[in-house]
Amino acid sequence: MDQESPSRFLTVAVIALLAGSALGFAGAAVTARTRTASNQEPAAQPFVEIRVTAERFSFTPSLIKVAAGTIVEIVAESEDTTHGFHLADAGIDEQVPARGKGELRLRFEATQAGTYFFECSRPCGAGHNTMRGTIIVED
Amino acid sequence: MVLLCWAAPLAAQTESDLAERILTLEQQVAELTRRLSGAASPGGQPGGLAGATALADRVAALEVEVQRLLREFPSPAEQRASGTPPLRRLGTASAAPAPPLQTALPSLQRSGAAARPTEDLRLPVSGYMELNFSKPQEQSAVLDFRRFVLLFGHSFSERLKFWSELEVEHALVEGAEEKGELELEQAYVDFLLHPAVNVRGGMLLTPMGILNERHEPPSFYGVLRPQVDTVIIPSTWFDVGAGVFGDLGKGLSYKFYGMAPLDATGFTAEEGLRGGRQKGSQSFLEDWAQAVRLEYRGVPRLVLGTSLWSGKTGLNLQTVNPSVRIYEFDGRYRWRRLEWRGQFAKTYLTQARELNLALERQTGVSPNLARQMRGFYLEGAAHILPRQSRFDLVGFARYENFDTQFRMPRGFLPLKQFDRTLWTLGASFYPHPDIAVKADYQILQNESRAVGAPNQFNLGLGWWF
Repeated sequence: MDQESPSRFLTVAVIALLAGSALGFAGAAVTARTRTASNQEPAAQPFVEIRVTAERFSFTPSLIKVAAGTIVEIVAESEDTTHGFHLADAGIDEQVPARGKGELRLRFEATQAGTYFFECSRPCGAGHNTMRGTIIVED
Repeated sequence: MVLLCWAAPLAAQTESDLAERILTLEQQVAELTRRLSGAASPGGQPGGLAGATALADRVAALEVEVQRLLREFPSPAEQRASGTPPLRRLGTASAAPAPPLQTALPSLQRSGAAARPTEDLRLPVSGYMELNFSKPQEQSAVLDFRRFVLLFGHSFSERLKFWSELEVEHALVEGAEEKGELELEQAYVDFLLHPAVNVRGGMLLTPMGILNERHEPPSFYGVLRPQVDTVIIPSTWFDVGAGVFGDLGKGLSYKFYGMAPLDATGFTAEEGLRGGRQKGSQSFLEDWAQAVRLEYRGVPRLVLGTSLWSGKTGLNLQTVNPSVRIYEFDGRYRWRRLEWRGQFAKTYLTQARELNLALERQTGVSPNLARQMRGFYLEGAAHILPRQSRFDLVGFARYENFDTQFRMPRGFLPLKQFDRTLWTLGASFYPHPDIAVKADYQILQNESRAVGAPNQFNLGLGWWF
């Protein structure tokens, strides 16, 4: 067995993955960037908008951190089929429309610190069970 | 004015009443438009230009009113599509009547609290199907209902979930005849402990490459799956096993499974490892194989992945117990209306010479197995229709290079017809994101001077629900 080729392959793979990761730390920050939209409506409460991309079989970003007391608006778009957005602790179970069919907007208030999970609740393929994300509410 | 007076009581009426009124208005607009056309045409009714102008004003006024009513009372589907938040009113002042969901802003509460309705048992069912037509050069055309797949899931609780995939291939399963196959491709239980560490056990898809875990027909271009995902990575590759998986944050996720190994007695020169899949059917587990995959999604629209599979494969052989290692690297990227994906995979088989000799003693024919197999592909695709279009049309080109005789053991010569390149050029039309109508032409070449490689025209219809 050629011992050099696997090593070379692994080296290339690891370098590529690390390079991608390095890019990603910047990219992830952009994806998860929040904005406070407090003056879009008269007398509206301020909220933090977080854009989420749903795609077989992941949410991006899959980890969302907010401060306790924040009103969060999730804006979710799909890159392929219709997905579900199930956030049990907020009593939310909605559908993210398929690609090109619009977006899902929903709000909830993060009243208590803790770790909460959201998941795809509409079967979307072989890896459906893996399609999950986490919301961490910090004090 | 009459129309404006309708607006006040409208809020108290049912949606069906509103729909009827909108329909009436639309009919009136259509009728006025028809009359206007008649009045304005040379052979039209009396009234002349003044009459036409008056009718045009009425049509315009009605159109404005219809549009206003449509905006004010969208259908539920339009509400979802436009992104109107169902929990929109957070106690803010609004003149509009309150929808039923606005009364209470859902409070995010600690998980693990008292049981909620969302912990009810659910039994989702979904599936995908694939119908193919293929016409190889100088051969008969084949029409094949290639796959009929149903997926079933069940949530025992928020943290205990079952998922399965049952597939009928080629439509017909007949006793001992090798027609179709009935396969249980997935059936596992997830124990969801923590985002970073979860446990899974049962019949698992091997986490290897782009396609093995993501093979719904609308999710890949081309009627047929890439050959690299067929002969180098033997998709669909599944077997019994257990392992851990999780999301490490920053877009990095992993899977690590222990699985039943491949059976070396099924390896062939043409299709590589494909015949060695045990498929969870009384799989031998003398030496368990390890499968690892890392996937990175930290950059928007970019997915990078790498996989490794390693295991002993001589479970049905007395004198030799060769190891197989597969390394794989893949990436996908989208930029505006363009997409790219690529994959590289290489297979290493130890004791290939001894394995060839052992199999020759068993069957009388040497399988001429290589000690290394290699394949890669690159694919570019462009969404041709404008983003606003109801439909999607994607043109694509894919180049594959794969060789199941890449490096031979001492004393064995490579069969050049298995050193192949394949161009696939085609298009996929999506009348709906979950339905794909595909057409492509495949140009296959090999390095042999004696054995030809037929080109092929393919049509396909695939859908997911």
